[in-house]
Amino acid sequence: MSSSYKNRIQEFKATLSEQKIDLKALRELCFSDVFTVSRVSQGSRVKEAFVRSAGRSVSDLSSSAILLNYLPPDQALWETFLTKQRDVYAQFLREMIIQPGIAKANLGVSREDVTLEDHPLNPNPDSRWNTYFKDNEVLLQIDKDVRRLYPDMAFFQRPTDFPCQLILDPQNEYETLRRRVEQTTLKAQTVNRNRSGVTNVSSPGKALNLYPSNEYEVLPNGCEAHWEVVERILFIYAKLNPGIAYVQGMNEIVGPIYYTFATDPNSQWKEHAEADTFFCFTNLMSENRDNFIKSLDDSQCGITFKMESVFSKLKEKDTELYMRLQEQNIKPQYFTFRWLTLLLSQEIIPSLMFTPSSSKRKNCRTVCSSHAPLGSASSLMIDSSAAHLARVGSSVCLCVIERLVLPSLRIFLIARHLKSLQTADECVDSFRDRETLFDSGKRISPEAARHYGRVTDLRSALPASAQSLSFIC
Amino acid sequence: MSETYDFLFKFLVIGNAGTGKSCLLHQFIEKRFKDDSNHTIGVEFGSKIISVVNKFVKLQIWDTAGQERFRSVTRSYYRGAAGALLVYDITSRETYNALTNWLTDARMLASQNIVIILCGNKKDLDADREVTFLEASRFAQENELMFLETSALTGENVEEAFVQCARKILNKIESGELDPERMGSGIQYGDAALRQLRSPRRAQAESVQECGC
Repeated sequence: MSSSYKNRIQEFKATLSEQKIDLKALRELCFSDVFTVSRVSQGSRVKEAFVRSAGRSVSDLSSSAILLNYLPPDQALWETFLTKQRDVYAQFLREMIIQPGIAKANLGVSREDVTLEDHPLNPNPDSRWNTYFKDNEVLLQIDKDVRRLYPDMAFFQRPTDFPCQLILDPQNEYETLRRRVEQTTLKAQTVNRNRSGVTNVSSPGKALNLYPSNEYEVLPNGCEAHWEVVERILFIYAKLNPGIAYVQGMNEIVGPIYYTFATDPNSQWKEHAEADTFFCFTNLMSENRDNFIKSLDDSQCGITFKMESVFSKLKEKDTELYMRLQEQNIKPQYFTFRWLTLLLSQEIIPSLMFTPSSSKRKNCRTVCSSHAPLGSASSLMIDSSAAHLARVGSSVCLCVIERLVLPSLRIFLIARHLKSLQTADECVDSFRDRETLFDSGKRISPEAARHYGRVTDLRSALPASAQSLSFIC
Repeated sequence: MSETYDFLFKFLVIGNAGTGKSCLLHQFIEKRFKDDSNHTIGVEFGSKIISVVNKFVKLQIWDTAGQERFRSVTRSYYRGAAGALLVYDITSRETYNALTNWLTDARMLASQNIVIILCGNKKDLDADREVTFLEASRFAQENELMFLETSALTGENVEEAFVQCARKILNKIESGELDPERMGSGIQYGDAALRQLRSPRRAQAESVQECGC
């Protein structure tokens, strides 16, 4: 087995060291690797080899960027291309965050944004102020969701090393999204007049106590947390794609991409994580966005159709399991909806990317079979055995990955997987971090699992699922 | 691990996004507040066996996504539900105004006989209240709903909401208004044998409770 590994790593090395990277070959390599690489229980040797193979500053990160169709295959073009894209993004920020904001309002300079023609009370739908307030509604929704992005890991709550200078520069006093959100929640006060004519203004005291534990405290000026960067990315995306704007769940697609860039060992990538994530996310969404558009739900490209096709794929691949689900009246809508719209980002990606040590990670199958959504479906199957559940997990999941989830996601997954091999050592160094990271096994307490009827520890059932896996592959 | 119960009821939790549906479920099952609750995409499940009027009832709870975009998908979860918690947020009139839509959906898609309890959640945020108790209880009366104000944070009335709803369903079964044998009633017998041997099984069921399950 180890020799086949060496071969594979050689292949990777060869593919990545080409001046012009053969995209098709790289994709194929990555795809087959989700199965082979993951079979190592102790990945250290492979990891070393991979790090060496990635020596030429061609990190796996750039490979995931290539695979998301962001970087052009020709390496000579990368630098100019990246500079260009990052400038474009900075331009977006200027147009969509800085300009419509209430810039310099408190400097005493006459305000350009409040004129006789346009002002905050202008009822005209074309009014810039009107748009500004509409945007705030979208922003509030994003804000609510993104504050608790991947609540199980501390990463997104931490300050970024590279806050957006363009906006946060104190000299400019631009209005940040943070301030916009604060302003949209107006504080109400009630005026009471008692009999002797004394007026008393009282404000509801509890109003601001949204987060009782103070866990989500706002960082001081000039700093921003990673979730605030993600918020900006989503806001820009919503502005540029008004047809979709923002739908819950998009945050969980951006999350892993951003995490990849923002934790890269190379500070170049780290610094520009925001812009690069934005373009990778946009590319990924261009394949996935139909799932988020309600009016397409029942069309050929909509989510309903996709859910049905997962099921018919399953029927083709594992008739017995399919019949079993039919018998129990378990519809694809019950468990595939989230898998498809979120591109498995609640199921597999966290375990692959956020769990650094390879021994913990074990392999893709364990993750598939021990994770929550399968448990969700499982709580419906009252008399199912663990082995059976594991099988639902691995085979349905793999059906999804293999056939239906977009090719680029598949590749993204694998690239992530390789990434975790590469950085395992660093993660061991920062052991404290590791405690706070995702661990698929820990995610649900055994007690909770019992109550929810979810079966978490299916590892004992692995041989069965492995069997069905090889059957599917 | 085999579970002993007399009935299984399918329950829905519905209502606008951010009203605290998942937190209510979590509080009911785990008996604590879920601080870092994430939004629900699609549906999540929970189940718990409760004891109501000398019967053990297993609630199979479908916790649905609230965001409007998911409405067409969440509708597919309604079929055959016996009970529902219809949740709004007492600090948000918008979520209260949406109740009529949710109600129509539930009655149309689940069943005409579905037993619904209206829950005005976030009772602990009384200072920010936008919907009075009186107004909501009138709405409940007009629409033949039970009504409670709940707090997933403190746990107040959370268990009561589920139990009251289950009790009403049991009453309806006993009065013959609901027939568990009918397709799509959302009710199943826990164990086929229970139907014939109900009294001898009782002792066994009670011993289950003693062991602290």
